[in-house]
Amino acid sequence: MLPGGTYSPDATAWAVLALAATGSGGRDRGVIESGRSRIAASQGGDGRVSISQSAPDSFWPTSLGILAWHGSEKHAEQRSRAIDFLLRTSGKHWVKEGRSPLAHDTSIQGWSWTQDTHSWVEPTSLSILALRISGLDDHIRVREGIRLLEDRQLPAGGWNYGNTLVYGKELYPQPDCTGLALSALAGCIPRPEVEKSLKYLQSQVTRVRTPLSLGWGILGLGAWGQKPGPTTDWISECMSRQEKHGAYDTTLVSLLLLALNSREGLGAFLGNRERDR
Amino acid sequence: MRNRTIAGMRGGWTRREVLFGSLGGFMASSGFSFLAGCTKRKESADVLISKLATYETDVASVVFAGFRELGVQEAEIRGKRILLKPNLVEPHIAAGNINTHPLVIRGAAEAFLRAGASKVLVAEGPGHSRDSLLMLEESGLGEVLREDRIPFVDLNYVPGYTVENAGRRTRLHHLTLPVTLRDVDWVVSVAKMKTHHWAGVTLSMKNLFGVMPGIYYGWPKNLFHWEGIDRSILDINQTVKPAFAIVDGVIGMEGDGPIMGTPKRAGVIVMGRNLPAVDATCARIMGIDPHKVSYLEAATGRLGPIRDSDIRQRGEAIASVRTDFALVEKIDAHRGLRLS
Repeated sequence: MLPGGTYSPDATAWAVLALAATGSGGRDRGVIESGRSRIAASQGGDGRVSISQSAPDSFWPTSLGILAWHGSEKHAEQRSRAIDFLLRTSGKHWVKEGRSPLAHDTSIQGWSWTQDTHSWVEPTSLSILALRISGLDDHIRVREGIRLLEDRQLPAGGWNYGNTLVYGKELYPQPDCTGLALSALAGCIPRPEVEKSLKYLQSQVTRVRTPLSLGWGILGLGAWGQKPGPTTDWISECMSRQEKHGAYDTTLVSLLLLALNSREGLGAFLGNRERDR
Repeated sequence: MRNRTIAGMRGGWTRREVLFGSLGGFMASSGFSFLAGCTKRKESADVLISKLATYETDVASVVFAGFRELGVQEAEIRGKRILLKPNLVEPHIAAGNINTHPLVIRGAAEAFLRAGASKVLVAEGPGHSRDSLLMLEESGLGEVLREDRIPFVDLNYVPGYTVENAGRRTRLHHLTLPVTLRDVDWVVSVAKMKTHHWAGVTLSMKNLFGVMPGIYYGWPKNLFHWEGIDRSILDINQTVKPAFAIVDGVIGMEGDGPIMGTPKRAGVIVMGRNLPAVDATCARIMGIDPHKVSYLEAATGRLGPIRDSDIRQRGEAIASVRTDFALVEKIDAHRGLRLS
């Protein structure tokens, strides 16, 4: 943490993952363990990891905590409690009325950003990634989360934050959401079901150079065996844009490092780490 | 490190320019008491309508002249720190009418600086996208801010502070606001004139949803939907206490706004100190009865006037610029809004 900075569990989790991805071994091991322990210290009694202790309802970093603790025997208990929290937590869901302006199936359970709100694409994708890497591929909540992502895929391809059509109009996709959803779905559903989304994302990564969209774009394509050839050049170009945007924060730099170092996406990268241990 | 602060100073952006540290020390007393003073119930309010044919017009001069027309003294602005809150919703390069036009932001910033503001910053927490850098790039706002060396703060990632919900129309006892708000003297809503499929219209009041940090409220800021969009608009406005509003109605959006509608040219900039009065005027320009917009009707008497007779219209007459924005019959929030 830099002087004057404040601890945030999401940035810490991304830093842990990125340091692990660089494969620098013993040199960073202490930093990684320290980051994991810091997240553990902020974990709530019921297993949640919230954005801050004063905002316990904003529990979306829980899935990131699970990813950061993955492979750490020292934090197995914390990881287990976080998994239990995710499994008993879901976004609001309901059977919609016939005349609802929303096209998506509101009855499917996924995960929300915060307490007592609907399920959305990004927290659901991160939760699926966290649970799958923990060996829960076949858990009913994971299967339902995957069904939610399939349902929220835009007819023309891609995902946004989580609405598809409203009052009959199809909404726009976004590259970061699409990359994240594709990362969560890799290996779970047949490729033809996401073909349009892969094409959409391919068209975006050639032009977007902001870290969140490019990072998730590369990870999402990599998860489906389509990591772009010019990845290194694109990430370098993205990093050079700090001259005009200012220094990227921890989360953004970490995401780019993961995109650079993960050959087949985030899930496969974490899985390989487990096997290599 | 969280604070995603993107600064446009010294020819390059330093994302970590310490806005909070440099501004924070002398804020606590003067700024907040000033803001509190701006929220007194007003029985009447002045609203200015200025014609603006294109964005290439000198927006800064229009806004600066507007201050005088509205009785805003330079002494009120001199030395103050001004936060401009644009409406940036989604990053789509071919759909510029979704967001407040960058040249309106530039003009507003220039006008406040010309009036003696010590600092102007632009701050937003986009509701549908976590990639604010992409928003800045695709909307063209990033380039404008960089050229003008105006800092941008991504409010979605700013640490929050908790305050009592001053409105209490929702069930929420407290709201979490970004610390950036504590470090400025004026919050200025620089909104877009659009129809909205949940709220009827989105103008300067609805625009303030974007100050609520995503790290606490998510993307979209769904808690406020569950609490009721209309009630949440009132609570946020009553708690944030914005000091001024500028609405970009040069080209707005009609039909299925705020994202999927179509561009609609109204050719106006509307501004004033009182947000309900500004929004009621905008609604009338759009051919919409503000009394039929639930949150505007509910604002009457607590946040400001919306009755025609309580608003002193300055500049252009509403009738001379009225441009009916298309409403969609199947959208519940649009039904019955048309001004007769």
